[in-house]
Amino acid sequence: MTEFLRDKHIQYVKDLDSKITQKSYEYWLSEHLRMNGLYWGVVVLVTLDVLEETLPKKDVFTYIESCWDSTQGGYGSFPGHDAHILSTLSAIQIQAIYQKEVEELDFPHKNEVVSYIKGLQRENGSFQGDTFGEIDTRFTYTAINALSILGELDTELVSKGVDFIMKCENFDGGFGMVPGAESHAAQVFVCVATLSITSSLHLIKNKEILCEWLSERQVLPSGGLNGRPEKLPDVCYSWWVLSSLSILDKLSWIDDKKLKEYILGCQDELGGGFCDRPGNQTDVFHTCFGIAGLSLLESLEQDSAGGPVLNPVDPTYCMPYSTTKKFRKWPYDKK
Amino acid sequence: MQHGIKRTILSKEARQDKYERDAIKISTYRNLTATIFQRRAESDFSTEALELATNLLNLNPEFYSVWNYRREILLDLIKKEPGSKKTRLEYDLKMIMAFLRRYPKCYWIWNHRVWCLQELATSNEANWAFELGIVSKLLEMDARNYHGWQYRRFVVESMEDSKKHNASNSDEYATELLEITFKEYQYTTAKINNNISNFSAWHNRSKVIPKLYRLWKSHGQNSDQYRELVTTFQSPYSILIHELELIKTGMYMDADDTSIWLYLQWLLTDQLFVDDLNKREDGSDGKKSFRSILDEELDIIEELNELEKDDHPENKDHVWCLKSIIVIKKLIAKELVDKEQKYRVESEIKEAFEKLIELDSLRKGRYIDQLKEFREEVTTV
Repeated sequence: MTEFLRDKHIQYVKDLDSKITQKSYEYWLSEHLRMNGLYWGVVVLVTLDVLEETLPKKDVFTYIESCWDSTQGGYGSFPGHDAHILSTLSAIQIQAIYQKEVEELDFPHKNEVVSYIKGLQRENGSFQGDTFGEIDTRFTYTAINALSILGELDTELVSKGVDFIMKCENFDGGFGMVPGAESHAAQVFVCVATLSITSSLHLIKNKEILCEWLSERQVLPSGGLNGRPEKLPDVCYSWWVLSSLSILDKLSWIDDKKLKEYILGCQDELGGGFCDRPGNQTDVFHTCFGIAGLSLLESLEQDSAGGPVLNPVDPTYCMPYSTTKKFRKWPYDKK
Repeated sequence: MQHGIKRTILSKEARQDKYERDAIKISTYRNLTATIFQRRAESDFSTEALELATNLLNLNPEFYSVWNYRREILLDLIKKEPGSKKTRLEYDLKMIMAFLRRYPKCYWIWNHRVWCLQELATSNEANWAFELGIVSKLLEMDARNYHGWQYRRFVVESMEDSKKHNASNSDEYATELLEITFKEYQYTTAKINNNISNFSAWHNRSKVIPKLYRLWKSHGQNSDQYRELVTTFQSPYSILIHELELIKTGMYMDADDTSIWLYLQWLLTDQLFVDDLNKREDGSDGKKSFRSILDEELDIIEELNELEKDDHPENKDHVWCLKSIIVIKKLIAKELVDKEQKYRVESEIKEAFEKLIELDSLRKGRYIDQLKEFREEVTTV
């Protein structure tokens, strides 16, 4: 089995914003994803326990502030870009992860962000990604995740949001992007994680069928996980499927050793980073979800001799437990 | 996010070459981006600005802020000249089509198409039939495209909404709805006949069938148009029999395909079918009971399993056959009252789980849990 190339991955993330990287066209073509990219990089570094020394907090917070869209009251992905719910969640998550020393999390634009997100919920409980109306269960998760970190969920929003999620449940146990849509592992993750944040997992009609569906995502000969029946495996599903199984307490329903082998086989041995399938181009998205997946798998290993290699990641939020333990969980205590 | 792109290692010279070529591209891209943001800051909603947005989106179709700016320009242009609405938005639809051929999985492009059509729909100018044709073409290129199927359902729903809007009474509306749903049913049949492993089509079929049944019952039985449904859609029972026959072919064609096994599970557990079967007395009106359907399916799958075993070098059971045998036997065990019979079926289920632990080692942990839970269930009962 290929070993885990820790130092190369750290270097890989470090280089994502280097002068050399900036010489390639692709760097500029990904501006619209920069805030998400930053979050993925931060998750890698914090899981490897080298966050602050690699990416100083001051620089990161300056960047985040430069992406603040005061017209909308949310964060864009890059300075001058429009606010979107995806980049707003990433900005909130990064700020939360960096607040290691504090007891109570603090966010510079908290009130505006809360009203921005709440304003994106529609009558039927769904959330749109921005003011232009795209609907997707991804955005429900994004909204509810961000509000949960901010400690600002409320009863009506949660109950309508959860109702919408439950309309997306299918006969195979999985969930889709909107009611009627086919089950897809990434959509299963966002729906299950939303139910987990809102303490609503009991609403799942048939947990066994859902977990069977999730376990069927592991395929041979590679041992990797796919996102839907009869599709190719891809490293990012190591996160979408594993986190769901972990939330549902069924991580043992797939073969962890085979999966670990597959994930490790997707490393770029020269340049660091992970890709979707062995031999392909790496990117920070797959690097994040490959390493977060490995962290979940590590939680299964009995033998912890030598201490943990990876910081444990909370499957519901895709952030370290050390961060997620800092905010209150739904339902809030009535005080 | 890179998907399915081969990793290439460039030599020092090749990398230098790339940087030089990229430098020109970067400067064009960044200049264009700067110009566009400048114009937007100045609230420039001219056709010239629209063209610049087209150019930039051609370089980067994921640039969501530019799509947003494009929509602001379009709305403004249309406000100034309402008569231009159809032409302008249809221009965008054409442009998006070219984009989709290059980037069939880009959310932002699909999103813009939906937006254009929703705008057109407000003045009853959306051509939904044309859209259905477009998405059928795209699903020919990639029969599993998640966005494509989603877009198809969006088009169908929008078509239904527009019929609701234009129909003079509820009967007329239901008749229109029936026609649309019937075509979608036929579409899933065609897609499945094309490739039995297309789970996206099976999924859609599971959504279309209950709807088509309701509509046909209330509004279609006297129409010649639906002769195909007269025998198949007589009752949930007849649909079930028809669908079981359909997947039987699939099982024999490719027993390793997971789609049909999932669909079988739907057929045997959905309330639509189960309620209809439980409603009738055993063997009345010459129809089979739920129990005898389960027995028949079991026979088919056990026979298939034997064939698969013969083909296997070590004479091993077929994993999907075993899994489906368990599903069916669990349903049978629920129906049984006779203690001895029940005990026998339950022992067989346990045996099948034990085989799966050996044969499907990826999911060993699952079978161990399920076996344990099953044992506990049986003891408590």
